[in-house]
This record gives sequence, structure tokens and C-alpha cells, in this order.
Amino acid sequence: MARYAMVFDTRRCIGCHSCTVACRTKNELPLDMIYNPVTTVGPAGVYPNLSMVHMPLICMHCENPPCVDACPTCASQRRDDGIVFVEDKKCVGCLACVMACPYGARVKNHETGAVQKCDFCKDRVDEGKLPHCVLTCHQKARVFGDLDDETSEVYKLVNGERTVRLLAELGTEPYAFYIYG
Amino acid sequence: MSKSVDLSQEGIEVKKSCCYFCHQNCGVLAYVKDGNVLAIEGDPSYPTNEGGLCCRGNIALKHLDHPARVNYPLKRVGKRGEGQWEQISWDQALDEIAAKLAAIRDEFGAEAVATAGGTSRTDDWARRRFMNLFGSPNCFHNSHLCWIPTFMVETAIYGWCPFDLDLGASRCLVLWGQNPGASSMPEMHHIRGLQAKGLKVIVIDPRFTETAAKADMWLPLRPGSDLALALAWVNVIINEGLYDAEFVTEYCEGFGELADHVEQFTPEWAAPLTWLTPEQIRESAYMYATSKPGNIQWGVAIDQLGKSAGAAMHARALLRALTGNLDCPGSDLLTGPSQDSITDEEMEANDRLPEEQKAKQIGADKFKLVTWPGYGKIAELAKKHWGKAPTAEWMCEAHPPSVFNAILTGEPYPVKALLVSATNPVNSYGQSKMTLEALRKIDFMVTCEYWMTPTAALSDYVLPIAGALERPTITNSYGCADFLLCSQRAIQPMYERRNDYNFWRDLGMRMGQEEMWPWETVEDAYHYRIEPLGYGTESYDEFVELYRFHFPEREFYKYKRIGFGTPSGKIELYSSTLKDLGYPPLPEYVGPAENEADDPELAKEFPLVLTTGNGFMPFHHSEHFQIKELRFLRHEPRVEINPATAAELGIAEDDWVWIETRRGRIKQKASLTQGVAPRVIVTERGWWFPERSMTEPELGGCLESNTNVLTSVADEHCDPMSGTWANRGLLCKVYKVNGADAKEGK
Ligand code: SF4
Ligand code: SF4
Ligand code: SF4
Repeated sequence: MARYAMVFDTRRCIGCHSCTVACRTKNELPLDMIYNPVTTVGPAGVYPNLSMVHMPLICMHCENPPCVDACPTCASQRRDDGIVFVEDKKCVGCLACVMACPYGARVKNHETGAVQKCDFCKDRVDEGKLPHCVLTCHQKARVFGDLDDETSEVYKLVNGERTVRLLAELGTEPYAFYIYG
Repeated sequence: MSKSVDLSQEGIEVKKSCCYFCHQNCGVLAYVKDGNVLAIEGDPSYPTNEGGLCCRGNIALKHLDHPARVNYPLKRVGKRGEGQWEQISWDQALDEIAAKLAAIRDEFGAEAVATAGGTSRTDDWARRRFMNLFGSPNCFHNSHLCWIPTFMVETAIYGWCPFDLDLGASRCLVLWGQNPGASSMPEMHHIRGLQAKGLKVIVIDPRFTETAAKADMWLPLRPGSDLALALAWVNVIINEGLYDAEFVTEYCEGFGELADHVEQFTPEWAAPLTWLTPEQIRESAYMYATSKPGNIQWGVAIDQLGKSAGAAMHARALLRALTGNLDCPGSDLLTGPSQDSITDEEMEANDRLPEEQKAKQIGADKFKLVTWPGYGKIAELAKKHWGKAPTAEWMCEAHPPSVFNAILTGEPYPVKALLVSATNPVNSYGQSKMTLEALRKIDFMVTCEYWMTPTAALSDYVLPIAGALERPTITNSYGCADFLLCSQRAIQPMYERRNDYNFWRDLGMRMGQEEMWPWETVEDAYHYRIEPLGYGTESYDEFVELYRFHFPEREFYKYKRIGFGTPSGKIELYSSTLKDLGYPPLPEYVGPAENEADDPELAKEFPLVLTTGNGFMPFHHSEHFQIKELRFLRHEPRVEINPATAAELGIAEDDWVWIETRRGRIKQKASLTQGVAPRVIVTERGWWFPERSMTEPELGGCLESNTNVLTSVADEHCDPMSGTWANRGLLCKVYKVNGADAKEGK
């Protein structure tokens, strides 16, 4: 069984938001919803000694997803390959998962009434394709793959570079990894 | 791509199309069924984007069937700008337009008809072909602000302009006024990959851009001071012996004159002009000259300097020659035009425009390089050397501000009709108030467009043209590269849209040009162009499906075999071509269009230095403001100000502020950022508000936040060689909008 993960190489990200727009159009999200915002830190420092970093965010597809535990209807689920997703039909929009997620990854869709979030494009992944935001990233700053596969790019990055997991101290074990400078 | 679409269903065809929202033309796979595009994604096998698509590329389906698109031919029925339209047939539109143009030609001469083009959003060679056959030399384009002056200066000096670089083997890349991190996404990806392997990147830019943030060296020069920096680099490279003596001796002429000429331009001289330290100037010149091979990538900034532009391009061009960074592995390549396929120029029928009409081209008396006098001379040299000339469309243009002026004043002669092709001059050409007045005044205007822009709103006819996914595209650097990347249309144009090719052809057919338009469709014309490649295909689509690309074998050091395409056959550091046209053969220093040294009084009233015109995501020039999936990222125009300056002026983040130059004022919202120097102001370009009324006098608020209200097209601010006008290095002041005057500027 695969264990899917995404690695964000902030050395490559230029903060262009192509991933955000790609995800929005693919998932037909209303304008007040985003699965994958990109935040920019900087220019930091004082002119002309500056730095700037862009941080793409998504659902972390945690190994121990508090959102799934919090869901009273079992709409929030975790597949064996690690993909955490919401089954729209079962969601009653109670927002328990929204409160539980420490990463702010979940938003209620006011058009459908269901809570939604990044599902690693499981429809595409199941067809053997890359998630849409990964394909669309000109900079190849987003890398997706199977962490159990030693030949995969994500395996090499997670095991070969210094990567960081966000809020690792919470024990959620995110499967989104960040590479900094 | 939409989540509701099942792409494994029967009957789906995958078309090899491309994005049409910027020049990169990223490869796109379009999933098509029954004439509808169900989904798109980046084409992973396309050599440049490798599956990537930027914000704009991703909204192709929103653009394709946006409710605000113009879908039917429209004829004005009310007063100009009143927004009263009648939907008519293409035949009626074409008949009436043809009759009107014929009448104008009879009464005022063919030169009374001009055309304005947008940024490669159209079939430009067809426009030029029509105009040549019609007899008017007054085609123009925004290309003055974009590479074309650079192309002509560099071609004058070394016989072609390097657009192609051999980056893979390079050790140093200079990005001079270019920000691929916001404008050439595929290129940025390749640069970052090469940096990881040791490529050094120098970014020259007043802003701390997406690209500057990743650079090995950032030179935040005073906006508009590029010429001083380039001259100082030439000085360092010569004085400190960093030049390639063997290459210079063997292949260059005029080194002695150049060395004498630049002695005065020391880094110490340039430091106060550029706001850089002499050490920064020296260190960067060393980095470029000693990390060989290296590249200087073209960027629009220099083309947009106005008065100092030509000399700055000239000085920058000399750097490649002095270091021998031309046509060798890892350097900037002089590919020449395609030898294997039919170029844009060969499609233009330039020989059909009579000499006496060429002589009437507006602006050619003042600005000789990018008009018939200079183009004619350079095209002749190129034909002798390469067998082919550069494209006249773009390289040989009437001077746009002078055409607008002719509309207003009747000088040098009346211009009565303007055919506008996918461009919105109010927002994209200089000094918008004057441009808008000209568009209000012109007797007859036809606009081929996707949207009801402020310009379209003032037209007599608006014709719906085919956009991304609806048109085939050949990408080949404006006919100036030797390679081809070919894409097909995913679907036939929706509604009654047509390729603008068909507009020009159908108009031509009505005006006695029948025998010159043998190709019924663009695909027929394109197949004619690629047939000589010898792939043996039956149609253009077959070529796209089977081969798609043509990359001729690369020959380095061509000059060893054929020399350079100049009168002497050598690189002319001291340019005989420029001299013959009446311009300085060596780059002479002139200050930025407006500056404190030349005009201290002006600087008292306008103490800040303005730069405009840089590209930013997610828009392209003045396009895409309608598309909410993009607009949500940037819904209002923003101006960048250093926090120290903002504090002095009592301006806080998100305050609306006026930015004012001698030409007028606009308002944008303040972004306080350390990314610009304390005296520098950076405005966003392009802005208008399609969500507002598109009738007079509102016209989509096209002057309110439009940075081109601030730019200058005055003859004394234009580059004497090319006529390019001043977008950068202007003097301005900035102050808070107060409630009472918040509405002005419409
Ligand atoms: S598309 Fe890639 S480079 Fe652009 S913001 Fe997203 S992750 Fe960063
Ligand atoms: S993986 Fe798919 S759903 Fe998740 S952020 Fe990327 S595009 Fe959106
Ligand atoms: S607009 Fe974006 S996706 Fe389209 S060609 Fe340009 S870079 Fe590529």
C-alpha cells in the first residue's frame, strides 16, 4: 500500500498562486474558499538587505488526523494510502472537524453545506496522474508521491534533505513536508 | 479541469493546444468532446512548461465562455461610447468596413488608415499583409516597449539579436530588468534548476522581485539609471582588462574608439547616478565578465526607459561582444531567422508597399531605427547575410504616440481610421489622457476583441475574435528564432468568433486583394509555412499531432564561417549603421527621462522616482480583470512605497493614495514594503474596472488607476533612435486621497 505525501520546496516556490487557482478551478470552489493558500513572508529585513519566503499550505493528510476523530458522522475519513478526505454526502456541516484541525485546512462550502478540503486529488491519483496543483506548478516546488517507494522523489527528498513538518509537536504526523533554504 | 468531468468517458479527444495568455504559449492538453472543451491541463511533454500552467493558464475555460466575452459582431447605433449596439452579421460588418476604408483611401490616401496591435494576441503577419496591400505604412504596435528597440540596436551592432540562450552550459546569467518569477514561469524553473548546479544569477532591478529574492546578487539601481550602470560595466571590463582580447581583436571593430569613449564612465561616476556603490558595480561587472560563458537575458525595462533607452541597449549589447559571450556554447546565440520554414516576414508582403507610401510612415522622420529608414537598412543587411529579414511587424512601426497625435491635430496629415486588434490603447500605450482623446476623436474605429474594453466601447464596430483554445499557434519568437513550436486549436471558435486572420483576409478579399490570400484558414497558411521543413505532412494539424516541434541542429560559432551581418562583417562596437542613420555610433550618456540632476526645479515638486510597467501575477498587461478566479488574488491596484517614505507622508498600509506626475494623477492602494528604496514608487500597470459602467464617461474607470496616465510620450522624453517612450525613471509625488477628491480621475 502506498503512503502518499507532498513535499514543498520553499527554495523553489515563487508565490505565484498558480496552485491555488488550479485547485480552485478543478474543484469549482466558491470564491470564499481555498484549499491551498500560499502565504508570503517578506520582504523581511531592511532595504536592501532582504529575504522572502513563500509557504504553500494544504491539508497535511495527517497520520493521526484529529478531524477524522472529531467527525460524528464518519464523513471525514482516512484511506489506507493516507489520503484524508470528506465524503460530502455524509457531512452535516457541524464544523467539529473545522475546530479540530490545527492547520486550518477545512472550510465549509456555503453552496453545498458540506465541509471540504484538499483530498490530494484522489480522483487523479487513482488514475495514476499527479494532483492538479503539482502538475501545474511551473517551479516544481510541489512534489507528490509514495513515501513507501524508495525510488520516489518524495522519498528521496524526505530522507535526503532537511525537511520540517508543521506543528510536529502536536503528534498529528503530517504528510506534508517543507524544505527551507 | 473540473471535478465533475469524467475524462475516461468515450469519445474524448485530446488536442495539443496551447495557452494564449502570454508569450510563453505553454503547452496545453485539451480534452474535447462534441466540440466542447471539457477540461484542460498543462502538457507534461511540452519542452518549456513540462505540465506547468500559471494562474492565467488555469482559467482558460473561464476565459473561453466568460459571460462578458464579445461573441457577435456589433455595430454602434447610438452616439460613440453610449453603449448602444446592434448585432449584425460578419458579412454586413465586413462589407461596411471595406466600403468605409475605401472611401477614406480615396479621399485622404491609404495612410489615413492606421492599425494598433496588442501583444502577440493576434495573427500579426496577416494584419501587416493586409496593410501593405492596402497601401498604408501606419501599422503600429506596443512592441516599442517590448524587445523591438533592443532587437534593432543589437542587430545593427552584430547582425542579429540573441533571444535564444544556451543556458544549460552557462555560468552566469544577468537578468537585466526582467522578473521571470512573475512573467516567464517556465524560464524561472530552468534558472532555479541551474542555480542549484552552480549558475550565478545577477538581478538588476529596483524592486526586490520574486526573482531578486532568489538571486546570487541583487543590484537595486535607481529606476531609469540602466544606461549609467551599463556604461560603467563597459568601463570596468575594458579598464580592468576583463575583456576577451582575442575575440575583440579578431571579430570586433572600433575597440579603440570605444575604450577612449568610456574612460569617463567609471564606477565612481556611475555610483551617484545609479544609487549603487562603486564596489557593487565593480563586483557585478567582474562576476559577469569572469564567469564565462555567460548570458545577459533581455528584459523589457530598458526598452521602456524613453530617452536613454537606445543608448542603454547599445551599451548593454557591447558587454556581450567585449566578453565574447556570443554564439559560443553557454552564451547568447545568434540563431538568425529560420532557414527551414517560411518566416513571418515572408508572409507579410512587404515588397508590395510602394516606396512613396513607406516614406509617409508617421514618426519615421524623427525616430529612424524602428521605422522604414532603419528597418529597411537593417533588413537589407540581414537579407544579404542570412537570406532573410526580420519581421516588419513589430520591427518597423509607425510611432504610436505620433499617430495618436496625428488623429488629434491632423499633423503631419490626417489619420481618419483606426483598426484595433486585441489591444486596449487607453491602458497600454503611453500618456493615456491623450490616447483616450484620440480614440474619442477618430472618425472611424473598428476593434477586434475578446472583451468590451474601454477602447472597444468607443468603437464603431466591435468584432469577436477567437482566443485561447480556439486558434492554432506557431511560437517562434516573433519570426526571429530558427525553431518552431506548433499548437492546434482545441475547438472551432465558439459563437460567431473568428480568428483575426479571417478578419484581415475577408477584408482583403473585399478590397481587391483576392490573389494574395490563397489560404482559406489559418491552418492552411500555417501548413504553407511549415511545408518546406520536409516532414511530408498533409495538414497543419497532422504536423502538430505527429511532430509538433522543429528544432534545427544548433551551430555554434557561425561567425567563423559567415562573419556577422553588419556592413563590415564584424561586430561593430563603433556602429556604422547607427551612424549612417544619424545616431551616435557609441553610446553617449543621457540621464533618465526626468531626473533631479537635469531638472532640479521639477524634482522639488516631484521628489520621488517612479517606475511603472512591470508585469505581475495574475494579470497580463491590461487583460483578465474580469475573471473573478484571478481577480480574487488582487482585486485592487497597489502601489509600492517604502515604509520610511510612507511614514513621512502620513500614509498607512491600504490607504488610497494619489500618484502624480506632470501628466496627471491616478490612485492606487498603498503597499508598504521594504522591497523598494525609500525614494522609489512602483505602480501596477494595466488597471481598469470591467465591473463598472462601460459607457461614457465612466468607460470602466480607465483613467482612474491607470499608470499610463503618468508616463510620458513627449518627443523629448522618447528615445531618439526608436521613439520608445518613458515608463521608468520619472519624477512623481504621492499623497493620500482625501474623501473630497476621491472620485476624480474618471
Ligand atoms: S504554483 Fe508552485 S511556485 Fe507557484 S505558489 Fe504554488 S507552489 Fe509556489
Ligand atoms: S492536491 Fe488537489 S485538492 Fe489538494 S490542494 Fe492540490 S489541487 Fe487542491
Ligand atoms: S499565461 Fe501562464 S500558462 Fe499561459 S503561456 Fe503564459 S506562463 Fe504559460
